[in-house]
Amino acid sequence: MKRTSVKIVVAGGFGTGKTTLVGTVSEIAPLTTEEILTAASIGVDDVTGVEAKTTTTVALDFGRITISPDVVLYLFGTPGQDRFWFMWDELAQGAIGAIVLVDTRRLDSSFPAVDYFERRKIPFVAAVNRFFGECPYTEEEIRGALELSQDIPLVWLDARDRASSKLALVALVRHSMSNLTVAPAR
Amino acid sequence: MIDDWDGDDETAAGRFLPLYILVNGRTTPRNSSLDLATQVIALPADLSRVEPEYLQILHRCESWISIAEIGAYLHIPLTIVKVMVDVLLEQGYLDSGAPAQRRVVDPALLGAVLAGLERL
Repeated sequence: MKRTSVKIVVAGGFGTGKTTLVGTVSEIAPLTTEEILTAASIGVDDVTGVEAKTTTTVALDFGRITISPDVVLYLFGTPGQDRFWFMWDELAQGAIGAIVLVDTRRLDSSFPAVDYFERRKIPFVAAVNRFFGECPYTEEEIRGALELSQDIPLVWLDARDRASSKLALVALVRHSMSNLTVAPAR
Repeated sequence: MIDDWDGDDETAAGRFLPLYILVNGRTTPRNSSLDLATQVIALPADLSRVEPEYLQILHRCESWISIAEIGAYLHIPLTIVKVMVDVLLEQGYLDSGAPAQRRVVDPALLGAVLAGLERL
């Protein structure tokens, strides 16, 4: 077998624990890489604040899990700012799917991520991060707020805890596999 | 005016060439199957004519490594790493793993990932 890499995207609003989750399950300390943005890649409406520069950079945090001698999994956190959508496209292309982290103090901050993956029919699971204490909502209320379809798995985790974070990854891969059997043959 | 030069720029890190010169003005890799997770490894080769900027990439590739990791360790933006890796692949200094796919559709691959995660 040729050396193969697979990707999982860790998304969610600002401060939902994306980098924490990546660090919890990664076998290496999370790394940061940069991508150059030009005005063209951000879109003309969004260059406010970067007028003085022709380019700017966006940082990506990522981690790695060696699955087998031939397969290595990379976990990429999406950039914090929503305006860097073009970067999401690069991360999501060819990915197994995404974990959308949900902060129960700000449910709506994860809505753009849910919307992004739903529109593109990219498999994802919603993961409520318990880090923020007791969850005041029921699963039903969270599903309603995020407009999650019933077939999207919703899991609970603590992004600092390896076991629950691992289960979220497992839930995503299972969900991806079930999508595969539902999808029509190529 | 040279006297106003504060020296606090890329020359301090020993890099005198703008990166766009190093990559011959290319802005995208010719090989579009390169993804930021694509795996590469150095092939045995005579490195005596390789420019230092490319050499530092090859030194990072003694075992399999992703484009994103090269960028992170060497502090080179991803777009530039992709083009430089592409040049090294073309010239036979690097080999690459499985090409990036638009979608993961291989049940065996997903099964292997699932089993690997459950073993963690």
